[in-house]
Amino acid sequence: MYHIKTKDKTYRLAWIIAVPLMLCLLLSGCSGVKTLEIFKKEVEREKLNLNKPTPLELENLKWIIINSKNAEEVFKKLEESGIDPVLWGLTDKDFELLAKNFARIRNQLKITNDLLDKYKEYYEGDLEKENEK
Amino acid sequence: MLGIRLFLIGILASAVVGAGVYVMKLRSDNAILKANAIKLESAVAEQQELITQQKEDFKDILAANQKMNELVGVLKKDLEDLDKRFNKKNRDVGKLAIAKPDAIQRITNKGSANATRCIEIASGSPLTEEEKNATLKSQINSECPSIANPNYVPYQN
Repeated sequence: MYHIKTKDKTYRLAWIIAVPLMLCLLLSGCSGVKTLEIFKKEVEREKLNLNKPTPLELENLKWIIINSKNAEEVFKKLEESGIDPVLWGLTDKDFELLAKNFARIRNQLKITNDLLDKYKEYYEGDLEKENEK
Repeated sequence: MLGIRLFLIGILASAVVGAGVYVMKLRSDNAILKANAIKLESAVAEQQELITQQKEDFKDILAANQKMNELVGVLKKDLEDLDKRFNKKNRDVGKLAIAKPDAIQRITNKGSANATRCIEIASGSPLTEEEKNATLKSQINSECPSIANPNYVPYQN
């Protein structure tokens, strides 16, 4: 009889502990506020920092105008100066085309060079300011 | 009787413990919410900073585009000027070269030297002080004044 009473008390005690615990879990278990996580991972790309190509240093060449009237004189002068009396010729129209072709190449070179500077300035900062530093 | 009493005590105890835990949880939630609010505020500030930076970038892009368009424009004008020099007022360089070969040779060589210098400048060669300070037509590089003589203002014909 004593054992049965002790068993009942143990069961009751277990209930007394279990019920509040269950209620606590019911009250606070489902709802909750989660900590806000903001992920921020920014890795800056390494600067390319390639050196600009060395500017061109060109040789000046000498043009000789030759026509039917002065041809003999021109060749004579060449011989006197120790230069082979031979010339590569262009007509006036072809000379004009050559001049325009060179001007186009020059313009393209300038545009490409400036474009490169602009890209470098945009992605790698102001070059002049950095050079000053 | 004892059972009912124990049951009531249990309910009361659970209510008190539950309320206590609930209040503690509320306080912890409150702290988290405050931290979240601070994080959100800093995130909003960072976004504003980013938007400002983007606006600055767009300005830079527009300015770079404009400069490039201006450059293309002035280089095109240099090319047109070269064309005019050959054909101005029905000028025939060929006939002039027959009539005055020495003069045309001199002009051609000067033009060739100028054109050579223009290519050097276009490839990145720095301008000389003389080129920078040229303001008169007699001082400029007539082949490419737009890139060789930044201070030269062409006369309006």
